[in-house]
Amino acid sequence: MNRFSIVGAALVGVAGLLAAPAIAQQETKQEPKSASGQAKVSPVTQQQLNSADKNSTNFLLTNGNYAQTRFYPAKQIDRDNVKNLHVAWIFQTDVKESLETSPIVVDGVMFVTTSFSHVYALDAKTGEQLWHYNHKMGPITTYCCGPNNRGVQVLGDLVYLATLDSKLIALNAKSGEVVWKTDIADPEQGYSETMAPTVIKDKVLIGTNGGEYGIRGFVKAYDAKTGKLLWTFNTVPENSVGVWATKDATGRDMHRNIQAEKDQLAKTGDPYQKLGGGVWQNPAVDLATNRIYFVVGNPSPDLDGSVRPGDNLYTDSLVSLDLDTGKYVCHFQYIAHDVWDLDAVSPAVLVDVKGKDGKTIPGVIHAGKTGHIYVHDRKDCSLIRFSEAMVPQENMWVLPTKEGARMLPGANGGVEWSPIATDPGQELAYAINLHQPMNYFVENSPYPNGKLWLGGAFKAIPTEKQSGNITAVNYNTGKIKWQVKTPEPMIGGILATAGGLVFTGEGNGKFAAYNSSNGKELWNFRAGAGVNAPPSSYMVGGKQYIVVGAGGNTQVDFHRGNNIIAFSLN
Amino acid sequence: MYRKSNFCIFAAVVLAAVLNVCVTPLYAQSIAEKTQLCAGCHGADGKPIDKTIPTLWGQQAGYIYIQLRDFKRGDRKSDIMQPIASSLERQDMLDIAEYFSKKPWPDLGQPSASKDVAARAVSANQSIGCTGCHLDHFQGDGTVPRLAGMGKDYLAKQMTDFRSRARGNNPGMSDLMLATPPDDLVALAEYLSGL
Repeated sequence: MNRFSIVGAALVGVAGLLAAPAIAQQETKQEPKSASGQAKVSPVTQQQLNSADKNSTNFLLTNGNYAQTRFYPAKQIDRDNVKNLHVAWIFQTDVKESLETSPIVVDGVMFVTTSFSHVYALDAKTGEQLWHYNHKMGPITTYCCGPNNRGVQVLGDLVYLATLDSKLIALNAKSGEVVWKTDIADPEQGYSETMAPTVIKDKVLIGTNGGEYGIRGFVKAYDAKTGKLLWTFNTVPENSVGVWATKDATGRDMHRNIQAEKDQLAKTGDPYQKLGGGVWQNPAVDLATNRIYFVVGNPSPDLDGSVRPGDNLYTDSLVSLDLDTGKYVCHFQYIAHDVWDLDAVSPAVLVDVKGKDGKTIPGVIHAGKTGHIYVHDRKDCSLIRFSEAMVPQENMWVLPTKEGARMLPGANGGVEWSPIATDPGQELAYAINLHQPMNYFVENSPYPNGKLWLGGAFKAIPTEKQSGNITAVNYNTGKIKWQVKTPEPMIGGILATAGGLVFTGEGNGKFAAYNSSNGKELWNFRAGAGVNAPPSSYMVGGKQYIVVGAGGNTQVDFHRGNNIIAFSLN
Repeated sequence: MYRKSNFCIFAAVVLAAVLNVCVTPLYAQSIAEKTQLCAGCHGADGKPIDKTIPTLWGQQAGYIYIQLRDFKRGDRKSDIMQPIASSLERQDMLDIAEYFSKKPWPDLGQPSASKDVAARAVSANQSIGCTGCHLDHFQGDGTVPRLAGMGKDYLAKQMTDFRSRARGNNPGMSDLMLATPPDDLVALAEYLSGL
């Protein structure tokens, strides 16, 4: 029930009391509920998805569009009127745990997910529940960092979901009933799913979690109609050794002992089968070239490099594949032989960028846990430039020790999984960052059959203050344009709009709008639980809404809640 | 692992159970029969008979299954549990795990930690991120166990055993315990048992 209905019902109730003596028999009837369990949603066409970047009514893809710009073209809510933004409705889910969902909106119907892989279809105008899919979780789930789910995608009349127990499921968009279901990988071996699938040209693309459990990472494509597996790309090739790179993407020495690694390689061979390399954020799709671009996570075990000689390809890398075949096109590795878990997790974004010669070319950008935004040539994945560091960097790259070695950034970043937003008109990328001073410890242990395999620990230093920031970076110069400091580390995501705004939330429950040109705060709201999810926007009945989940965060242990909150003007 | 005074009792229970298993094939036993043996140590009312024995009632099914699997494989060492688990097939383990997970978590009546101890435990959690896997309020999920309200002595022993790698079936836990000072582990055991 929205707030107008509540007021209306109250007025009717008062009127009924006043008139009671005269018309004692009169009944006041509430409006009948809409057909329970049904969502009136039109099939989503591939053409709609292709042009999602120009669609100022719906929010069709996890990061707004296939380029993943998180730039929403509606501008009804702007810098002048955003101060009048208020709650339109709040929906309380049944699950009070970490919320990382990106709400998807199709013609007035919203699809949101929660921890433990629940899906809700809501009336996007009122917040009324239309259906709820409560996934019957298998007894065996293996995951770190929270029972998260980041959302669904819709194509045709199917809603696609990947679950914590590593299943891919197609639901009927109208009813939430299961149409088909398939196993992606074995959760007992450390595989799990938290990402939203990307559906493109009758294929459902999905990666996997498990970089802390000695998995072999992949991206798989399934037939969208039947769930049949079409292709698999292993993110770790059988020859994972690489070129014995001694420097990171920014040219800093990583202090590798190459000879020791070569000796280990001669003894134990290529470690590709248990090397990790999860992909748990959506790939970007270049519709013009039929290629996908995604980032690959850390090698296993996280901190002990002694058991995994070589560059550990393609961990900590940007990778591009051919969409139709899943064949490798190009890659760029940020950190070879990573022993800090400073991997690549924030989703890749496709924008036009200035190349090294100053000419505009198709680019791809990624915000790293290192605190840099990396700008690449889309043609061959090569690095054009990297930004100024958005967070303090100290003692890079000191090797982890048994006693613990201090280094900044901490293992969560920089930029964690949080998707960035861009505003191509301003040539800006907006990223939210964590600052968590940590000590890095190394330990050695053999592969533990699908159990947690860290090879040490990264430990926040209790005596050092943590904080966060929102940073706007010009990706054509690499310079920071503005930065807003926040009292706590930032994790969740950000949205830019044509109204000249960016929206993002904090672990303390603050959700705010900022002027996208200078970072000035223009509006805020206190949600009562951590706002650690990426916001979306949409239009219904001629009115623009901003919607975000406020459920806190498991990984950084922000206050949990279960609210989906939609805001509008008037 | 267990106090000597109780070892004879345990041994007798185990012997009886193993004999029982030998007489009645597992597939012919009901879940109640299969789990009868467990009650001897883990408690007929869900309260373990000894403070170093874990609570099974209300524990996460995935976790119970993995432990039984690891006892059978020898990945987790126990003179008591290994012979018991060795007779179980995968489906038996899953059934037993589900059976116990559906039971109500027993109140062991352990006191809440003092403010100072709680603060130390919370700080330790913030440093290594226990709740990243054990989740909010340390309730666990899937293959990760509930810790809240577990017996204090059992918690302390497991953390110490992980730290020394005497318990070797989760090296990630060993790494995290090694990165945590022993005094913090004492505080964590007291804090978690009182939740």
